[in-house]
Amino acid sequence: MLTLSVRCQRVSCQLLASSSTSPLAQTRSYATQPKKGQIVKQASQGFKGKKNTPSGQMEHAKKDKKMMAFQPLPASQLPHPLFESDCPDTLALQSFHPEMLTRVVESQALKFPHNENDPFRIFGLPRNILVEFRLLSKPCSVIRSVTIDAISKLDAASDKNSKESRVVLTGPQGCGKSYLLLQALQYCNARDWLVLYIPRATNLVNSTTAYTYDMRTRTYSQPIFAYQTLQRFLKVNAPRLEQLRTQTEIEIERRPPVPPGTPLVELINIGLKDQGHAPTVLGAVLEEIGKQTIFPVLLAVDDFQALYCKSHYRDQHFSAIKSYHLSMPRLLLEYASGQKSFARGAVFGALSMSNTTFPLPLELREALSLEHDRPYGSYVKRQPELVEYAHGLERLAVPASLSVPEAASVFEVWMKDRAVPSKPNDELFLAKYSEASGNARAFVWKGLLSSMSA
Amino acid sequence: MNVLRRPSGLSKFRFYSTQTTRPFVPPASLNHFDFRQRQREKPRPTSPAFYTARPEFYDQLSSLESALQHAKTALTSCHLLPLPQFAREALPPRVNAWVDKRELGLKLRSTLTTSRYRRVVLVLNELETYRAIAEKAGIAELQEGIRGITELFERADAATMLARGKAKPVKFDEYGRSYTLGKRKTSSARVWIVPVQQPPADKSTASQSIPAATETDTALTALLDPISSSKSNEPVSVSQILVNNTPLSTYFPIPADRARVIHPIKLAGLLGAYNIFAIVRGGGTSGQSGAVAHGIAKGLAAHEPAVATILRKAKLLRRDPRMVERKKPGLAKARKRYAWVKR
Repeated sequence: MLTLSVRCQRVSCQLLASSSTSPLAQTRSYATQPKKGQIVKQASQGFKGKKNTPSGQMEHAKKDKKMMAFQPLPASQLPHPLFESDCPDTLALQSFHPEMLTRVVESQALKFPHNENDPFRIFGLPRNILVEFRLLSKPCSVIRSVTIDAISKLDAASDKNSKESRVVLTGPQGCGKSYLLLQALQYCNARDWLVLYIPRATNLVNSTTAYTYDMRTRTYSQPIFAYQTLQRFLKVNAPRLEQLRTQTEIEIERRPPVPPGTPLVELINIGLKDQGHAPTVLGAVLEEIGKQTIFPVLLAVDDFQALYCKSHYRDQHFSAIKSYHLSMPRLLLEYASGQKSFARGAVFGALSMSNTTFPLPLELREALSLEHDRPYGSYVKRQPELVEYAHGLERLAVPASLSVPEAASVFEVWMKDRAVPSKPNDELFLAKYSEASGNARAFVWKGLLSSMSA
Repeated sequence: MNVLRRPSGLSKFRFYSTQTTRPFVPPASLNHFDFRQRQREKPRPTSPAFYTARPEFYDQLSSLESALQHAKTALTSCHLLPLPQFAREALPPRVNAWVDKRELGLKLRSTLTTSRYRRVVLVLNELETYRAIAEKAGIAELQEGIRGITELFERADAATMLARGKAKPVKFDEYGRSYTLGKRKTSSARVWIVPVQQPPADKSTASQSIPAATETDTALTALLDPISSSKSNEPVSVSQILVNNTPLSTYFPIPADRARVIHPIKLAGLLGAYNIFAIVRGGGTSGQSGAVAHGIAKGLAAHEPAVATILRKAKLLRRDPRMVERKKPGLAKARKRYAWVKR
């Protein structure tokens, strides 16, 4: 299916160079190694338990395998001259700097910076983009006209309340919404914003993470996910969070309240010490950073429509739990709807039209005034809560097709990385562009990488 | 008074002639007399075929044969007849479309039998041959003369009849669009192809203010900065393909179907030159993609005749005759036999 040319060992070179910090090799599983005294999701055991493996690690190992399904081989295992391990890289790209993002660099490919605390490496990536970055020599993306539009929106939003800048990226499948969200994320991170990125919001509602009923809030809390989110948030935004302090007293269950003036880092560490406190602490932290005006805040959520769908969790009556009855989706929905807001900042969401388990629901479709593909008359039921959560969302339409210069840059990136099996000439470019009708994913995956021609 | 009695003066005359010869009158004295032609009791027949069974028919036939004879003498005088064998073979083979027996009977004003019809057609074919020789030799007068005769006997729809089985030329409408049909299995596609219109240069005024670069300048820049100078500022045109009003990638998700549709354009080297709109019905995905490809190939051959040979060699202009084979009795499917049992 996928023809990997010389691409595979390029990735392995990078792996060898930065094996310790590269996220491409580490496990991106959302359930980390359980520590003592923490809530652990019970792995299912067969009648004959496996010997020499502790029960807690069984599920972890399985997930490891799943996440590492596609992993390029290291260069040491590719000595054959066919792999051209000694040839230097031909892909020379400029770095993604926020200052240079103007109309002049439109349809140019820029590589993402390589940092210790890069938001991609810490927060994770959507699956498609992860595989692409594993194939490419460097994570990069092409600056499109819509990128400049998004960035100008962010610049405008940096001084305003996030209630006024709640943007959802829409467009057909494979048009580049997730990539645009990544570019916005990198821009904000470089511009010294506080960033919180949820790369796969489907993982919040597809019952892969633990959930417990919380009597105080009367919702189902997701402590492990909240814990991991806090961990990553701290890691990415550490230098900025050190400058911030709490402004009010914060009450946390089974614990004395946190006095005002506490550094936010300390507050986060309370949540990191005990997973049970994580959801409350996360909510409190977001509220505190929402009050301060030193740093603007970006809340970026991919698979945004999953927050508006029914979750796969079941309650004790085996009925599906609504997404807004789960702590993490509820938190995100409250910020997305403007019920809670950041004093300075924006909320950006990217829809995923390729997900069939969490399709775009009617309430969100109406709020964003998108085309309908199902009955939508007045006799079709709409949930009033979701209608309220979707109220006031702004749409940023990503163009369905790449323009020719943008497509040419994409082609150049893959060509220079020597990932295209066919002879890379203009005939191939025009043929594949016409076949894909300009669609980015179809152009790269079904066009360039999947076909061979003389 | 006896009325019945003849008057006395007339009794000497007889009312029958007894003189066998006429009295001699010298010719000189007859000059000032005006003799009228004696009226014949029976009029002289107008045509020599009067006493035949079908006078009109034979009249027409004889006039045709006399025309044929005149043409023959004219050509013989030009030394074009008798024509040698190689020259006869060099003439284009002519399939004639004469009127049918009934029509010819109406024209000749007599009902025809098959043998009489054949006789007329024989003469007409000969006339047509002489006309072809005259045309080839360039004798316009003779050719037009014979044509004047033969076109009276040609069918009204002679052109259509002669063009039966040949491919009709593709017509273009007022916007330069071609309309062609493509078929494969049970799918049929209607394809409209129009050349891509380049937008007029908006920045033409701005570029005029900059002085035109000399040849040495461009050569220098090409040497020093090869990558950026090779990029021209001309916009690249792209073919837009719509199938049933949806983009190609949306209508055909399988890459093989998309490649099949693009293949004729790619072979012809016309990627980015033409925009295509197709309406396709019937069959399944691969049948529909084959039908669209067939329609596109025919349309491109109409727009650019030079490309037709390439497409023909690649068998893209050919309607794929393969269809689903029928099931036969005694067989499970078209070819599949039932399991053989020894006993």
